[in-house]
Amino acid sequence: MDQTKQEEDYGYDLFPERNKSKYKKGSITESLFTFNHKCQVMLQYAIDTPYAKLLLGAMKHSGQVFKDRHFACEDCDGTVSGGFDAASSQIVLCQNNIHQQSHMNRVVTHELIHAFDHCRAHVDWFKNYRHLACSEIRAANLSGDCSFSNELSRFHFGLKKHHQQECVRGRALRSILAVRKISREEAEKIVDEVFDSCFNDHAPFGRIPHSKKDAKFAYRHYESRDRYNANI
Amino acid sequence: MEQSRILPWRPPRVCEDYWSEFRHCKSLLNKFHHYYTYGESPSCQQWSQDYKNCKQWESHKDLKAKEDLQQSERTRVAEQQQFTPVWKLRKEPPKDWHLPLNQEKSQEF
Repeated sequence: MDQTKQEEDYGYDLFPERNKSKYKKGSITESLFTFNHKCQVMLQYAIDTPYAKLLLGAMKHSGQVFKDRHFACEDCDGTVSGGFDAASSQIVLCQNNIHQQSHMNRVVTHELIHAFDHCRAHVDWFKNYRHLACSEIRAANLSGDCSFSNELSRFHFGLKKHHQQECVRGRALRSILAVRKISREEAEKIVDEVFDSCFNDHAPFGRIPHSKKDAKFAYRHYESRDRYNANI
Repeated sequence: MEQSRILPWRPPRVCEDYWSEFRHCKSLLNKFHHYYTYGESPSCQQWSQDYKNCKQWESHKDLKAKEDLQQSERTRVAEQQQFTPVWKLRKEPPKDWHLPLNQEKSQEF
């Protein structure tokens, strides 16, 4: 069926609850004692981190984010942690695959970067793979996905220099291959083409936030941007 | 004719911010992260220089200090723009960003 093929082409098969024809409201029991409730609670903490606060603040004028409208906790296939659905303008959080607050924080930051790109630029998520690759490179780079400690937890013991860049490249590649039906070679070529530009695009952080302290400083700078811009 | 109020110049950042950025830059953890990302040690001296210029302006209204500080910050901004964007920036948010989700009444037995 054409719709099924299109769903597979864009990765929607990973998110089986993204059926556009119904949005069910669960019972109270369901809402209190399930992964859904845990997801909602963790989300509330996640949007309070300096990473998220900066992104949400930066989006106030380009597309303000409302938690109830733009976030959805759902069950997902496989091991995917989350996604950004441009068609419905929603960040999907995989309630069955995110069980730790630190993981939730990272996923929320990652997906907010996609949302941020979606709102500030004309990103063609579906047909322009360079745009998709760029946003994935930025999200892997700026969300802490490729921090030393996260890489360590994946048993990637790369202490050599530039490891972060290799990690970003690799994760961007994986993200693209997970949601688009193209060959690995093609995906690698696309990532290579846009890597330099996108690795160096640190908006809205102004730096790569390696740690929570970096993110705090970036947020502090963001909050005083009026004074900054008026006096340089 | 009424003269518009121009706010007096002040350093782009609070002086203590320059100092805390310098300390953070020099920290072992930051050095490690920087090497992990770029393969080299971070250069932190400029933060220290900016702090000195900031204090110099605060105490002596030193014009040279002000100019040096402004130049340093402009360089910092320029460094963040050293790439050709892959996409075109928008002038306004996407039209469907705030549209309500499709709520269909479904009967479940």
